[in-house]
Amino acid sequence: MLKGRLLLFLFLCMFLSACRGGQKEEEKASIRIGISLYRGEDTFINNICGILEEKAKEYERESGIKVVLDIQDAKGSQNVQNNQVERFISLGCDVLCINPVDRMDASVIIDRAMTAGVPVVFFNRQPVEEDMNRWDELYYIGVDAKETAVLQGKMVVDLYREDAGAVDLNGDGVVSYVLLEGETSHQDSLIRTEWSVRTLKNGGVPIEKLTGGIANWERSQASALMEQWLAAYPDTIELVVSNNDDMALGAIDAMERAGVTGVNVIGIDGTTPGLEALESGKLLGTVSANKELYASVILELAASCALGEEPPEEYPLEGGTYYWTPQEILIRENKD
Amino acid sequence: MIGRGGRALILLYAVLLAVLFLMCSTDLVIREPEKEIYQIAVIIEDDRGDNYSNFRKGMDQAAMEFNADVHFITLYEKLDADQQLELMEREQQDGADALIVVPADEGRVSGKHAAVPVIFLYPGFAENTGAGSIVTDYRKMGEELAREMLDGAAKECTVLELIDTDSMGDVDSFFLEGAEEVFAAAGYSSRAVARQGQEGIRAALEGLEAESGGKALVLAQNPEILAETAAIMTDNPDLAEHVEGLYGRGSTLPILNYLDRGQITGICVTDGFSTGYLSVLAAVRTLEGDGAQEPVVMESYYIEKKDLRDPACEKLLYPIE
Repeated sequence: MLKGRLLLFLFLCMFLSACRGGQKEEEKASIRIGISLYRGEDTFINNICGILEEKAKEYERESGIKVVLDIQDAKGSQNVQNNQVERFISLGCDVLCINPVDRMDASVIIDRAMTAGVPVVFFNRQPVEEDMNRWDELYYIGVDAKETAVLQGKMVVDLYREDAGAVDLNGDGVVSYVLLEGETSHQDSLIRTEWSVRTLKNGGVPIEKLTGGIANWERSQASALMEQWLAAYPDTIELVVSNNDDMALGAIDAMERAGVTGVNVIGIDGTTPGLEALESGKLLGTVSANKELYASVILELAASCALGEEPPEEYPLEGGTYYWTPQEILIRENKD
Repeated sequence: MIGRGGRALILLYAVLLAVLFLMCSTDLVIREPEKEIYQIAVIIEDDRGDNYSNFRKGMDQAAMEFNADVHFITLYEKLDADQQLELMEREQQDGADALIVVPADEGRVSGKHAAVPVIFLYPGFAENTGAGSIVTDYRKMGEELAREMLDGAAKECTVLELIDTDSMGDVDSFFLEGAEEVFAAAGYSSRAVARQGQEGIRAALEGLEAESGGKALVLAQNPEILAETAAIMTDNPDLAEHVEGLYGRGSTLPILNYLDRGQITGICVTDGFSTGYLSVLAAVRTLEGDGAQEPVVMESYYIEKKDLRDPACEKLLYPIE
C-alpha cells in the first residue's frame, strides 16, 4: 500500500516537472533583451545599435524565436542607467546588454542583475576586472584597445616608410602632430593614446607633439579645440591623431572652416561618417572593428543567455567571459 | 508559574499574531494598489527606425508616465503590408493590449479587424480611425514646402523631384502630390527623376546644366534621398552650383547637420516627440475605458538654417525626455 502511494507520488512529481519543462520551452518562443547605451548620440554606438536591430530581425527569421529589444539611452548618466536596468528587470527582460556609462561603477548593475538572475552582456566600455569576476553570467564584448592603437600608429608608420613626404609635409624632418583624446575615465582613451604614439616612435617616425586635448569623443568639442590649435600653430600641424572618428571629423570641420588643406587626420572606429570622409579623401585612415561581427556576437551571446544555453561556439570567449572583435586598417588609397 | 488561563492567553496571542501576519503578507489587510502594465506594440511601416528617433523618445516618455510596456517593431521589408498584418496578429497573440500602427498600406491594414484597440498613425485624413488616430497631413506639408521653395525663386528655375519608385509609400505620394499641385498652380514645371542609387542622383544633378542651363529647385521625396543628395552636393561643389535650393522633409541628425552647414535649404518637419507621446496616451486612454479617441491632427513646420537656434525649434528637433 505504502509502496503504491510512493510510486504514485513519484509519478506525480515526474508529471509535474514534465509540465513545468514544457511551459519553460513554450516561454522561450520569445526572448526579451534590455539594451542600455551610455550615450545614444555616439556615432559608433549608434552604428552598433542599428546593426543590432538588423541582427535581431535576422535571428528572429532564422530561429523563429521572437526577439524583443528594449533600447534605452542613458544620456551619460549612471543613475539613469541604473534605473533603466531596474525597469528592464521589472519588465521581465531575459538578458541585459549594457554599454556602461561609468566602467568603474558597474557594481550596482551587477548587483541587481545577480539578484534577479538575469545575465549581463557588457559591451564597448569594459567594467573593471573585479566586477567581471563576481559572477559567471557576466560577459564583455569589445575591441582590444592596444591592438587598435598599434594599428592606428602602424598606418602612419607604413605610409612614412613608403613616402616620408606624405607625412612630413613641410620636409623639416619632424612630423608635428596634435592629439585629440576621448574621456579620461575611459580605458580605451588612455590606451589608444599611449600605444598609438609609442607605435609611431618605435616605427621610426620622427614625431613632435605640438599640443593635445580632451574632446570627450565628441565632434563639436574636437572642432572647437582644433580651431584654437590652427590659430596657435598656423601652417605647422602636419598630423592629427584622434582617439575616434567623430573627433577626427571635428578636426576636419575646423580645418574646412579655416581653409586649411593637406593635413593628415587619422581616426578610429570606422563609423559611417568616418568611412564617408575616408572615401571623399578628407580622412587619411581609420581602424575599424568588424561591426557586423561585433553586433552579431552581442546578439547571439545575449540570445543564448536568454535561452539558458551555452555561449555560441563560433565565438570563443577568452576566459569564458571576454570576446575581442577583430579590427582592420582602412586607409585612403590615393593620397593627393 | 503560569496557569492554564495564562497559557491559553499566550496561545491566543500567538495565533492572533500569526493570523495578522498572514493577513498582512497576503494583502488581506494592507492591499497594495494594483498597477496594471499595459502591453502596447508599435508597428511602423519602415524596416528601420531612423526616422522615428523623436517619436520613440515621446513614446518612451509616455510609457514611463502611463505605466505602459511599449515595444517598437520595424518590418523586415519596408512597406510590406502582408508582414505588417502578420506582426499585428502575432502581437495580439503574444498578449498586446493595444497596437499602434503606421500602416504600410492604408487600405489593407486599417481595414483589418483586430481584437484589441488599434491607434493608427495616418499620413492624411482617413475614414477608419480605429480606436484613435494621429494624423499628419503630408499633402498639406508638401504644399507648404512647395510654397516656401517658390517664394522668391526665379521664374526660369526648374523643379527637380528626386524620387524612389521602389519605396513610394502613402506618405511620399501625398507629400509629392501636395507639392506638385502648388508647382503647377504657380506655373512651374516639375520633373521627377528616379534615384536608382547614388549614381542616379549624381547624374540628375549633372544633367541640370545641360538641360536648363540655369538653376533648379530640388525636392527630395524622403529623408534618405534628402541626406544622400546633400552628401553628394557637399562632396561635389560643382554640382551644387546648379542647385538653387535643396528641400525635403525629415529631421534625422544628418539632415539637421546638412541644414546647419547650408547644404540643405529648408525642411518640413512634424513634432515626432508629441506624435509618439500622444499615440501611447490614446492607447492607454482607450484601454482605461475612455472609448474611441478623437483623431489628433499634427501640425508641420518649415525650418531653415536661421531657425535652428530658435528655442522653440530646438525643442521640436532635439526633445529632451
